[in-house]
Amino acid sequence: MGEFFFNIDHGYLEALIRGFKGGILTQSDYANLVQCETLEDLKLHIQSTDYGNFLANEPGAITVGVIDERLKEKLVTEFTHLRNNALEPLATFLDYITYAYMIDNIVLLITGTLHQRPIAELISKCHPLGSFEQMEAIHIASTPAELYNAVLVDTPLANYFVDCINEQDLDEMNVEIIRNTLYKAYIEDFYKFCENLGGKTAEVMCEILAFEADRRAIIITINSFDTELSKDDREKLYPRCGKLYPEGLVGLARADDYEQVKQVCEWYGDYKALFEGTGPNPGDKTLEDKFFEHEVKLNVHSYLHQFHFGVFYAFIKLKEQEMRNVIWIAECISQRHRSKIDNYIPIL
Amino acid sequence: MGSIFRSEYMSLCQVFLQTDSAYACVAELGELGLAQFRDLNAEASTYQRKFVNEVRRCDEMERKLRYIEEEVTKNEIQVDDASFHIKAPQPKEMGELEANLEKIEDELLQINSNTKTLQRNYTQLMEMKAVLDKVKLLLDSDARAQAAMSISEASRGEAGPIQVGVAPKFVDFEKENRGDTELKFITGVIDLAKTSAFERFMWRMCRGKVYVRTMNVEIPPPLGSLDPATFKSVFILFFSGEALSGKVKKICAGFHAEIYNCPDNVVERAQLGTKVQMQVEDMKSVLGKTIDHRQRVLHAAGKNVKLWSYKVLKIKSIFHTLNMFSIDVTQKCLIAECWVPTVDLPQINDALRAGTAMSGATVMPVLNEMETHETPPTYFKLNKFTIGFQNIVDAYGIANYREVNPAPWTIITFPFIFACMFGDAGHGIVMLIAAGLFLVFEKRIIEAKVKDEIFNTFFGGRYVIFLMGLFSIYTGVLYNDFYSKSINIFGSQWLNPYTMAELNGTEVLGANSDQDLDFTFSPNEAFKHSEGPYPFGLDPVWNLAKNRLNFLNPMKMKMSICIGISQMFFGVVLSLLNHTYNRSAIDIFFVFIPQMLFLCCIFVYLCIQVIIKWIFFWAEPKMIFGQYYPGSNCAPSLLIGLINMFMMKSREVGFVKGNHAPADGIPKVEDQLDQCYLQLWYPGQGTAEMILLAIAVISIPVMLLVKPLVQLAQHKAGKPISGGHGHGGEGDGEFNFGDVMVYQAIHTIEFALGCISHTASYLRLWALSLAHAQLSEVLWDMLLHMGLTMMTGYGGAALMFVFFSIFAMLSVGILILMEGLSAFLHALRLHWVEFQSKFYGGTGIQFEPFAFMKLLRQSEGLED
Repeated sequence: MGEFFFNIDHGYLEALIRGFKGGILTQSDYANLVQCETLEDLKLHIQSTDYGNFLANEPGAITVGVIDERLKEKLVTEFTHLRNNALEPLATFLDYITYAYMIDNIVLLITGTLHQRPIAELISKCHPLGSFEQMEAIHIASTPAELYNAVLVDTPLANYFVDCINEQDLDEMNVEIIRNTLYKAYIEDFYKFCENLGGKTAEVMCEILAFEADRRAIIITINSFDTELSKDDREKLYPRCGKLYPEGLVGLARADDYEQVKQVCEWYGDYKALFEGTGPNPGDKTLEDKFFEHEVKLNVHSYLHQFHFGVFYAFIKLKEQEMRNVIWIAECISQRHRSKIDNYIPIL
Repeated sequence: MGSIFRSEYMSLCQVFLQTDSAYACVAELGELGLAQFRDLNAEASTYQRKFVNEVRRCDEMERKLRYIEEEVTKNEIQVDDASFHIKAPQPKEMGELEANLEKIEDELLQINSNTKTLQRNYTQLMEMKAVLDKVKLLLDSDARAQAAMSISEASRGEAGPIQVGVAPKFVDFEKENRGDTELKFITGVIDLAKTSAFERFMWRMCRGKVYVRTMNVEIPPPLGSLDPATFKSVFILFFSGEALSGKVKKICAGFHAEIYNCPDNVVERAQLGTKVQMQVEDMKSVLGKTIDHRQRVLHAAGKNVKLWSYKVLKIKSIFHTLNMFSIDVTQKCLIAECWVPTVDLPQINDALRAGTAMSGATVMPVLNEMETHETPPTYFKLNKFTIGFQNIVDAYGIANYREVNPAPWTIITFPFIFACMFGDAGHGIVMLIAAGLFLVFEKRIIEAKVKDEIFNTFFGGRYVIFLMGLFSIYTGVLYNDFYSKSINIFGSQWLNPYTMAELNGTEVLGANSDQDLDFTFSPNEAFKHSEGPYPFGLDPVWNLAKNRLNFLNPMKMKMSICIGISQMFFGVVLSLLNHTYNRSAIDIFFVFIPQMLFLCCIFVYLCIQVIIKWIFFWAEPKMIFGQYYPGSNCAPSLLIGLINMFMMKSREVGFVKGNHAPADGIPKVEDQLDQCYLQLWYPGQGTAEMILLAIAVISIPVMLLVKPLVQLAQHKAGKPISGGHGHGGEGDGEFNFGDVMVYQAIHTIEFALGCISHTASYLRLWALSLAHAQLSEVLWDMLLHMGLTMMTGYGGAALMFVFFSIFAMLSVGILILMEGLSAFLHALRLHWVEFQSKFYGGTGIQFEPFAFMKLLRQSEGLED
C-alpha cells in the first residue's frame, strides 16, 4: 500500500535523486579521465560532465586536496537540499545515513588527539556530512566514559555507545573497538529501522545493510589476526544482521587465519565469488576492491525498484565511491604513478 | 536577398589557413557569422587539442572576471554596459588583458585580506567592549556567592550531572565551603546559537564545578562589511583551581569561544574601557580609508568589466573554433571545413582577406569548395519580420534542405486562422496597440536587453502579434463583433414589418397573459430584397435576434470547413512543388494526382455545394436548376447529403411531387415530398456523386500500391530507384520492399483518414469563435450592462468606474491574454498538423554558423 502514496511525500525527492544519479560519471568519462596528463586536464574534462564548473572558481594550480574538498562540498550541498526537503520517515532515514560519518569523525578525532595532532588540522579532515555541534571539543575527553557523558550524550549516537563505556584511558586498541562497537550497534539499528519501514525499502535496504554487516565481520576477523584482540572480544564486534548470522559468525569467531575465513564464506554463494580471484599475487584484485565492486552492484541495483528509500542511501554510497575513484585517479596523475591508475572501481 | 521559399544553397568548403593568420581570419568570420565549422577532431578529447592552453588561459581570465564582477555587484557598484559590437581582440591583446586582470585581482585580494584583518580586529575590539560593559552586571557579588555555593555543592557530589559508568568520587570535606575570593573567573564571547550546548558541555565535562553565566549582546557589523549584525553572548565562568583552568580553556577553544581577560578591579576595568574605546575610533578611521580605496578600485573595474568579459568570450570562442581544425602535416597551416551559403562565398573570401591583412601575413588562405554527399544544413536568410513566422515553423521541425518552406504562407494564414477564432474588433484593437507599442519602441527595447523570458517571448513575436491584431479587427468587423456588440454602419437591411397598433396590442396582450410574446421577421416582408444584403459582414440586426446563434452557428461552421479545405488543398498543391523540384514523376502521377482526386471528389465537392446553397437557396419559392423549390424548409441538408453519397442511398429527384411549380404559384405543403431536404437537388446529382465516389475510392489503392511496385520493378531491373521517400533521406542504402510498402501504407492511411479528421478538426475555428463571442457577451451582460443600469445620477457614474475597471481587467486578462493564447495554440496546431502534414518533411538540420553576436546574446541570457 505504501507505494500508492509514496509520491505524495517523497515523489519530488525521488525524481531528484534519480536525476542526480544520472549525473554519475560513466565508463567513457573514466576512460577519458585516466588519459589525462595533468590535473588541469582532469579539470577540463570534468567540466564537461555533470560536475560542471565546480572547479572553475579555484585560483591557481589545483591540487588533489582542493578536488577532494570541492567534491565533498558538492555532495553535501546535494544532501542538504534533500534533507531540508525531506518529510518523515525519509528525514530520519537520511539522518541515519549521516550517523556512519559521525562515527568515522569521532574515531578520527580521537585517534588524531592520541597522536598529538592539532585539532584544527583534524577538523578539516572530518567528513562534513558527519559533523555535529560538540565535535570540536571531543579531544578533551580522555576516557570513554567522559566521551559519553560530555560529548555523545546529546548526539543520536548515544544509544550506540552504551556498550563501550568504561574508565580506561583511550588508546588505539580501545578506539578501534569503540569504532566497531558503534558501527555494529548502528548497522543493527539501521537494519531494524528499515525493516520497520517495510515494503520495498526494507527489501532493498536490508540486502545492502546485510552485506555491509557481513563485510565488516569479515574484515574485522582478517584484521584481528596477530593482534591482541581475543576471539571472544572479536565476536562481540560482529554486527548481527547479515547473512552470516548466526552460523557464519560462529565460524568467523573461531577462524585463525585467512584460509579459514575463506572456508566459512564459501558456504555463502554471494561471498564465495568475492573470494575467488583475490590474493596477494600481482594482477589479483584485493578483497577490499571486490567488496567495493559488490557494494556498487547492490547500490546500482537498488535503482531498479521504485518507491523506496534505498535509492537515497545508494546515491550517497555511489557518490562516495565515485569520489574515491576521482581522487584515486587524481592522486595517480599528480604522483606520476600511472601504472595503477586503472584500479578504480567502475560504477556500472 | 535570398528568398525564404526554399533554403539557401550551401557549399561545403575547405579552408587552408596559415598558422599566423588563422586567428585573425576566424575572428573576421565570427563577426560575419556565415560559416558553420565542422569538428574535425571529434575523436580527440578536450585536453588533447592544439589550443588547449589558450582555452585554459581564457578560463582563468573568466574566473578572474567572475571574481571581479562578483566583488563589484556585491558592493552594489554600477556595472557599465558594453556594446556587442566590439572587435575581437588581437592575440597580442590577450597578454595585456591577462596582465590587467591579474593586477586587478591581486589588488582586490590584497585589499580584501587587509580589510578582513582590520574588520576582525575591529570585531574583537567591539567584543571586548561588550564584555567590559556586561561584566559589571555579571560580576555582582551575588553572582559570586551563588557560584561558590553551586561549586561547593557540586564538589560534595550533591549536585552535578548524572554520570554513566563512572564511580562517584568522594572528595575530602576539608576543602568544602571555599570562600568566594578563591574563585577565579574567565570572561569571553561565544556565538549565541552555541551557548546552550556550551553551557551543557561545560557542566558535564567539569561535573558542575564551573559556574556559567551568560548575557546576550548584539555585535554590530564592522564598517564596510555586508554581513548583518551578529548575535553573540558574553559569558563568565567561575571556577577554582589550576587544573580546571586548562580544561575550561580547551573547551572554549573547541566551541570557538573567544576569551577576553577582564580585570577584577573596577578602576582597571574603566581604564581598559577607555583604551578600547580609543582603539575602536582609530580602527574606524583606518577601515574607512581602506574601504574608500576598495570602492575606487571597484568603480574603475565596474566600468570595464563587461567589455572585458565580451572580449574574453570572443577570444575563447575563436580558440574553440581553431581547436576544431585539423593540422597540416607540415604544421604550417590549419585546415578547416565549413558549411557556407553559396551566395555568400564572396563575403567569406573578403573576410578571409581582411583577416590576412590584419595579421600581416603574406600568404592568402585558400578556399576550396568540396563535393559531398552529406545533407547540407538548412539556412534561411531572415529579417526581423519573417523570423517570427519561421520560428513557428521551426518549432515543429527544421525544413529539409531545399524543401518548400511553409513560412511564407504562414505569414498570412497564421494570423488569419487565429483571427477566425479571435474575431472581435475591440479585442483586436487592444492587441494591435500592444504590438504597435512594441514596434514603436523596438530599438529602445532591444538596447535595454530585457532578460525576462516571458517578455522576450511576446517581444520576439511582436510582428506575429501585430498581424494577429490586424486580422482580428478584420474578422471582428466581418462577424460584426465589437466587445460583443454589433455596429450599424451601413444601416440594417431588415425592416420592421409591424404597425404601431399591432405592436401596442401585442404588448397589452403579453402583459395580461404573463408571457413573452415574440415578433418574427419573415424574410419575405422584413428583408429589403431589392437592395441586397448588408454590404460588409454580418447584418447588425442579428445581434438583437433571439435565433442569433441558430443563424450564426451554421454559417461559421460552413465557413470553417471552406477555409480548412482550401488550406489543405493548398498544402497538397505545395507537395507538387516538392515533387517537381525532386524531378520525381512517380510521385507526381501516383501520389500527388490520386491525393488531389481524393480530396477534390469528396471535400472540394462539399465546399462547392456549400457555396451554391448560400447563393441560390433562400426563403422564396422559385425554380432552381430547373427544379421547383418551395421554400426554406426544403433547402438541401448537405451533411446528410454527404453521408447519403457514401451510402449510395436512392433518393427522389426534386422537392415537390411531379417536380414542377404549382399552377397558381402558391406552394402547398401537401405537394412537398416527404423529407424534401434530403432529396436530390440538382439534375444528374445521383450519377455525378456516383462517379465522384468511384474516383475517390479508386485513387486509394493507386496511392497505396503503385509507387512501391514501380520501385520494386526498378530495383529488380537494376535501375536506379526513382522517387524519394517523400519524407526522410533519399533511399540511401539497401532497397527494402517491406519498408517501402509499410511506409507507403502508413502515408496512404494517414492521408485518407487525415482528410476526414482534419476537416472535422477545422471546426475548431467555429467552436473557438463561438466561445469567444459568448464569453465577451457574458462579460458585457454581467458587468458593463449591469453597471450602466444599476443606478442613475452621480452614484451611477461612480459605480461605473468600479464596474469598468473590473470589465477592463477581465477583458484583457481572460479575453485577450488567455483566449488569445488558446486561439494561438489552436492556430499553431492547425498549421503544424492539418496544413504541414500535407507536404512538409521537417527533418532537416539547422544551420548554426559561428557568430559572435549569437554567442554574446547567449552569454547575456537573451537567447538560448
